[in-house]
Amino acid sequence: MFKSIFFFTTLTSLTLSTPLFGQTLPTAGDIYNFSEESKVYTKMIDIPLNTMEGNFHLSDLYAQKPIIMALVFTRCTGICSPFLLQLHDHLRSLDNKRKFSVLVVSFDPKDSLSEMQSLAARFQLQNNKQWIFATTPQIDSLKTAIDFYPTWDSTTAQFDHEALLVGINENGYIGKKLLGMRDERALLSLIKEINNEFVFSYPLPAKNTIFSCFTYDPATGKKKPSLGLLILLLPAIITLSLLLWLGSRKPKLN
Amino acid sequence: MPTLSFKRITSAWIITILVLFVLAISFGITMRFNQGRDIDISPVTFYSLMTVHGLTMIGIWAVAGMAAVNYLLARYVKVSTSLNVFAFVLTVVGVVILWVVGFIGKFHAGWTFLYPLPFRVAWEEWATLWFLIGLTVLGVGWLVWSVGMIMQILKKYTLGQSFAWQHFTKKHDVAVETPPFILITMVSIIGILISLITAVILLVLFYAEYFSNGTFTNDPLLMKNLTYFFGHTIANEALYLGLATLYELLPEVSGRPKFKTTWYVAVGWNCTMVFVLTAFFHHLYMDFVQPYGFQLVGQFASYFASIPSAAVTIVSVIVLIYGNKIKWSLTNILFFLGLVGWIIGGVGALIDATISNNIILHNTLWVPAHFHTYNVMGNVLFSLAFFVWAANQFAGTDSKNISKAQLVKLSILVIGGFGFVLMFYIAGAYSVPRRYALYPEEFTSAAILASAGAWFALAYLIAILLLLGNIVSKCLKVFSSSQPSPLSH
Amino acid sequence: MKEHMFILTLFLVLAVIIAGVFTFVYRSSVGNKEDNGIKNPTGKRFIFFLLFTGAMVILLFITIPKSPYYAFANDAPAKVIHVSAMQYMFMMSSQAIDPNNPSMEPDITVPVDKVVEFRVTSSDVTHGFGIYNDKAELITQTQAMPGYVNRLRFKFTKPGNYNILCLEYCGAGHAVMRSSFTVN
Repeated sequence: MFKSIFFFTTLTSLTLSTPLFGQTLPTAGDIYNFSEESKVYTKMIDIPLNTMEGNFHLSDLYAQKPIIMALVFTRCTGICSPFLLQLHDHLRSLDNKRKFSVLVVSFDPKDSLSEMQSLAARFQLQNNKQWIFATTPQIDSLKTAIDFYPTWDSTTAQFDHEALLVGINENGYIGKKLLGMRDERALLSLIKEINNEFVFSYPLPAKNTIFSCFTYDPATGKKKPSLGLLILLLPAIITLSLLLWLGSRKPKLN
Repeated sequence: MPTLSFKRITSAWIITILVLFVLAISFGITMRFNQGRDIDISPVTFYSLMTVHGLTMIGIWAVAGMAAVNYLLARYVKVSTSLNVFAFVLTVVGVVILWVVGFIGKFHAGWTFLYPLPFRVAWEEWATLWFLIGLTVLGVGWLVWSVGMIMQILKKYTLGQSFAWQHFTKKHDVAVETPPFILITMVSIIGILISLITAVILLVLFYAEYFSNGTFTNDPLLMKNLTYFFGHTIANEALYLGLATLYELLPEVSGRPKFKTTWYVAVGWNCTMVFVLTAFFHHLYMDFVQPYGFQLVGQFASYFASIPSAAVTIVSVIVLIYGNKIKWSLTNILFFLGLVGWIIGGVGALIDATISNNIILHNTLWVPAHFHTYNVMGNVLFSLAFFVWAANQFAGTDSKNISKAQLVKLSILVIGGFGFVLMFYIAGAYSVPRRYALYPEEFTSAAILASAGAWFALAYLIAILLLLGNIVSKCLKVFSSSQPSPLSH
Repeated sequence: MKEHMFILTLFLVLAVIIAGVFTFVYRSSVGNKEDNGIKNPTGKRFIFFLLFTGAMVILLFITIPKSPYYAFANDAPAKVIHVSAMQYMFMMSSQAIDPNNPSMEPDITVPVDKVVEFRVTSSDVTHGFGIYNDKAELITQTQAMPGYVNRLRFKFTKPGNYNILCLEYCGAGHAVMRSSFTVN
């Protein structure tokens, strides 16, 4: 009885107030990028991989070490090169004690293994044991498994796609995805995640948000001073300066 | 010594605050009766009442402290009547705007207006902007008032002296003595100032998003930090302003020698100033996204903020009173009772500020339980004590020994006040969520506790009304005579 | 419930002690012809400070390690539930939820005696995510904040129906915002 009255009054008053919803506000879906969340903590499909070291399955790889998987195509004139370069840079400067291997997979069916090999050579990674450059015959299943859908643009003869890293843990589960060019901090949290270190909270990539407490800019991938934290300190700084200024004047009565 | 015009404006503050207090209590009682299912109001009405209740209470008890210390400050430094009047006018304008926004605009985002709730317009469309404008008016008025008072103090004392730094050594012969009242006032107003600057930054960020047409979005975590930095700090500093009046007036009305600033009083209050500014992190314990270090700082600061202010004050008051010949009047009984309420509320607060408890107490009724304790039975009583004392000053009457009738009123106040908060504590321990217009059926005792709480609060309101008549009639005398009466200084 | 009642009892005992001490102090001051107060209070004061500070430090050392953030940090969760809160409901799914194209599962079941992870976020305002057992006791919670994902891990030791209530004021429907799931 009470429950129904309760729901009724609430719903009626909410409905009555609907004409008042004048402003159309951006929803969280407009502000934050949720695609990074999709497929997280699902089991990866066990695709076959062709590499210079031979042919094997994804499960053979992750059973040894967690994987950071990067998706590229060799003829890319856009984001792929800077993306790999940045990943390489970040991994070097992180000086990480955690274990992982980096798997660079092509999502272009036209890419051959030798083209992948020359891509590796461009970054002087062909002899680096940690980096594996591969192609796979099951590109479509891979795309579905990680919710990644590049579109072919025939005018530019390029794939229109975002930079994507997929972290896979030793049990073959997707631990974390990173979309776009991201900073070291984000990469570190991915590495922690696939090494089963618990990261108890993380931000979603956001548009139009400045002044966040944390320091990354998905657009440029560059580190910025934590404006948000600075803002938190601002009241105390302003007050202190004001006091010092007021206090620097001599009191009359002493 | 305060001039007649200064007495008049202080008197206007007292009357305004008491009237708003009575109205805001009745909003609170309405909410509790609704939760107790004794009456039936719509959720929108409930939450509009809740928003106005919170805003009004936080506002009036902050300005009550400010008005009281401003009045007492006249004993030590030159104070400005026009500054005080300016703050009064802006406060009244701000309160009127916020009440219109709440009652006509049906604005109901809560007094904490947690981002982005004010932008999810579920009220009149103009209400969000006018809510921000109302807060801005209050913010500007109080900001100018705080800076003005700091300037008044710094005209007589150096910066170091105003914080009693010369007392840090154990030497007894300091050139200039800083009275505890000046020290605590300075410490508290600095805190108020910092919280108001935070509010200004918060409001600027709100305006920026409001007028950006979707091109600028704020970070919810930063906004929440700013909200509680402002909200927690102003609520705490309002209490410390009340303590400043206690330090100044309690010995005087009890017929005891004045408190002296010793090294531990000086060190204690300086520490409090720092600790209190980081204690607000305890509002974000359940935001796992907040860096872990901040969470630890939150608990450390909450614990250590209590050591200097509470321990120094408890010891000072016990030494002052215990076994001595005390003249008990309404004023010092109210201070004394307020101290007890403040400490008990503080214990409730410390329990909640412990991270491992917070996971089962956060946003349950335990939260309103503890903050109502140190407001309803703490800060309000400190301010009432000042009001009684000031009213006697204005009317030229002497404070009399406590009478039987006054003891009866006080008993109703104590039973009503503590009964009211006890219902919150029990419900909080039984996991009943706060800010629910009506309780879901599984909380079997919640409605009964709410109803009982409302009846206790009604008793408290009656006691306030009984005490209020005398205060207001004495305060009004200051307007009828053009000359101060001979006893008033 | 033991924990909840311990907190309430602790508080009430302390409140009564405080009220008792101050009543005692008050009574000691009534009807005195002359001052018989505390002589040489400095030493006693020092002991009081020491006790007070000591108590605070001990309490910190006891309680800080019990902080919930790292609970089950080293376990791999047996099940992950994505939660997206919105005015006035909780969308829950074992798949990630896109607020522009939301899909939710009507019945959520999680295993007993195994670590479960809730990945909690919000698609509009800040909400609370409080888990209540069938006796309406709050057992754990986190906040649902837009733009952030909070990961709450918990091991349910009793099978049964659990309720989720909103624990952050989110608008007029705050009190009716709820959901539930089954542990078995």
